Amino acid sequence: MDFSFSPEEEKFRMELRQWLEENLPEGWLEGKVTLPEDRFERTEFLRQWQRKLYEGGWAGISWPKEYGGRGATLIEEVIYEQEMARVKAPPVLNSIGIWMVGPTLLQIGTEEQRKKYVPKILSGEEIWCQGYSEPNAGSDLAAIQTRAERKNGRWVINGQKIWTSYAHVADRCFLLARTSNTGKKHEGITAFLVDMHQPGVETRPIHQMNDQYDFNEVFFNDAVAEDADIVGEVDDGWKVGLILLGHERVGIARWVFRLQGQFEELVEMTKRLEQGGQPLIKDPFVRQRLIDYYARTKAALYTYYRHLTKQLKTGHPGPEGSMDKLLSGALIQELLGYAVSLQGAYSSLWREDALVNTIWQNSYLRAFGHTIEGGTSEIQKNIVAERILGLPKDVKF
Amino acid sequence: MDFALNSEQEMFQQTMRQYLESKGGTGLARQYMEGQREVLRLLWSGMAELGFMGVNVPEQYGGLGQGPLSLVPILEELGRVVAPGLYPETMALAVPLLEMYGSEEQKQRYLSDIAEGKRMVTLACHEPPAGRFAAGDIQMTAKKEGEDYILNGAKTLVPHGDQADTLIVLARTAQGSAESGLTLFLVDRETAGLSARVLKSFDQTRDWAEVQFHEVRIPQSQRLGPEQAGWVLLQEGLKHLHVALCATMVGGMAQAVEMSTEYAKTRKQFGQPIGRFQAIKHRIVEMKLDLESARSLTYYAAWALENGAPDQEAAIYSARAMINESYIRVAGHNIQNHGGMGFTWEYDCHLYIKRARALENYLGSPSLYREKAAVALGW
Repeated sequence: MDFSFSPEEEKFRMELRQWLEENLPEGWLEGKVTLPEDRFERTEFLRQWQRKLYEGGWAGISWPKEYGGRGATLIEEVIYEQEMARVKAPPVLNSIGIWMVGPTLLQIGTEEQRKKYVPKILSGEEIWCQGYSEPNAGSDLAAIQTRAERKNGRWVINGQKIWTSYAHVADRCFLLARTSNTGKKHEGITAFLVDMHQPGVETRPIHQMNDQYDFNEVFFNDAVAEDADIVGEVDDGWKVGLILLGHERVGIARWVFRLQGQFEELVEMTKRLEQGGQPLIKDPFVRQRLIDYYARTKAALYTYYRHLTKQLKTGHPGPEGSMDKLLSGALIQELLGYAVSLQGAYSSLWREDALVNTIWQNSYLRAFGHTIEGGTSEIQKNIVAERILGLPKDVKF
Repeated sequence: MDFALNSEQEMFQQTMRQYLESKGGTGLARQYMEGQREVLRLLWSGMAELGFMGVNVPEQYGGLGQGPLSLVPILEELGRVVAPGLYPETMALAVPLLEMYGSEEQKQRYLSDIAEGKRMVTLACHEPPAGRFAAGDIQMTAKKEGEDYILNGAKTLVPHGDQADTLIVLARTAQGSAESGLTLFLVDRETAGLSARVLKSFDQTRDWAEVQFHEVRIPQSQRLGPEQAGWVLLQEGLKHLHVALCATMVGGMAQAVEMSTEYAKTRKQFGQPIGRFQAIKHRIVEMKLDLESARSLTYYAAWALENGAPDQEAAIYSARAMINESYIRVAGHNIQNHGGMGFTWEYDCHLYIKRARALENYLGSPSLYREKAAVALGW
């Protein structure tokens, strides 16, 4: 049992840490600068950060070197996430392109697709979004109804997607559409690479509970795609869609490491905030609650490390990732809720009037999405139950 | 990065599981509950034959010289079958205390005996009437008289206090500041003046005894460590014992998760296995999350103790609190998942909740442990 990293791995870490120190926006590390509130300023900020990462050689590190990556190992990817979490780095605008579309095209795309799309991903020259969920197909993704019909040698797409992150600035969409109806919903789906700038595509922002507009509805009204834009085979898109999702090896690491930092910040807050003439951290009730969170925060980290150990040996992530998501998703919500609660009478104040830092209130509201996005907690529990414990699938009526 | 047991430790786990299964699993606990006291010795000699009595005993006294982490897989299996007995107290308290603070004579005698499976050791520190354990509540006295000490007083909640070969006893050798007037002693059962009475507990798989000390005379050579250092020394030893208790609780939780899973697959109602219903299915997943969290924390706590990590106390005490509360919750869910059968004596579910509750306030309480962790973090 050994928690250390090799000297080469530590060297990698330090190299990244130093680059971050030198390249994060001025004031970021001190918490003085945060993401702009306005959605277009926000995406512009993120686009610039994407570019900076690319120029520093820190975008898409797991990509092969000949495509602009570093050929990073799994451990290096984990260290990358650890360091990014440590400085609460801005999110990667082109995450869909970098972590999913690019590697998928490298794995199963045509040579033409690779040449056309891959070089523009890392720099953010082309931003990608993911057209999966629909109003009637969320957890039940296979029930999608957006259809692509063959007309005059091209594919005509009609339908609607929802929860599409950054669709308002995306250039391309990795879209799952129905191309035939055999009666079995997992069959008859095809994966398309769709141009977002064509007349048949319209995006509409969704107002989120945290007063942000990162998600969108995307409407396809006779939008078009060519045969050359199909990934894999016609009607074989479900498999392609799963391959895409499978490329993200360390998504959960991001959350787990972020959680560690959030716990530390919560503790720091209780050392500075006073109530009844003493810092909150001296209050016996607060201490009890914080230690419970300490144990659970560490449990999420160590359980992730146990799963990572397994992943290092087998070479691929397993259903255990669902356990990690469940543990950290629930805990982040509780931690942030507690942090807000501890701020007392001013706890619901935010933005310029936040008592401590609006990041608490912002993150708290955003955290409600953590147990829903990327597979709801209910779905994750079914995955653990069925694929790890071997319990039978749900009742069907 | 390798957060897993090594192959030898995994082998300990397999071997222990096979051995206990061959002896009837929870059947051992049930036999003990029905009055077959010899189960303790049978289990003891069986484990000695497997070499498990020497895992962490230093090599020169006949052991393998391994650390706390190597005991974890063995303890998990013992916890899985709610085994009666003193394996935690003997291996994870007596052995480290003797190794750290014992005289050469004590090490030669006791450590070799333990490694050969000849000596069961327990801990006597709680005192009646309230079972308190805080330093200031220790009133048993150890008065120096010539070359001996005379012990007078009473201890309670002594695990298997009526059957242990040796008791580690915390007694007061000086008045004044609560913590600094205490000393540890090794008292063998044959010493005159001891009398034990087994208390009635709803956890009948592990006996608590009240032990009276009436003019118990022991030679100075039975003192463990220096005078007045007993409290501090005991705290060091208890770090090992708490890790061990956590490991047994992980084992109990593992069995509860397996029981619930198996029942959910086989019990049919409304024409299908009840595991199809999300209320049951999701409750079992919650149990599994509790289990794996507990296991992760236990592994880390054992590793931190073995490697002298600076966060060992925060790790051990926060784990001790959280895991016990998880065990209680998981054991309760296990009953619920079994419906009416979960409520019967015949099914094993009740054994786990009872053991979980019995351990909850043994040597402290979850709130106390959390406060200790907070202090260890410098808060």
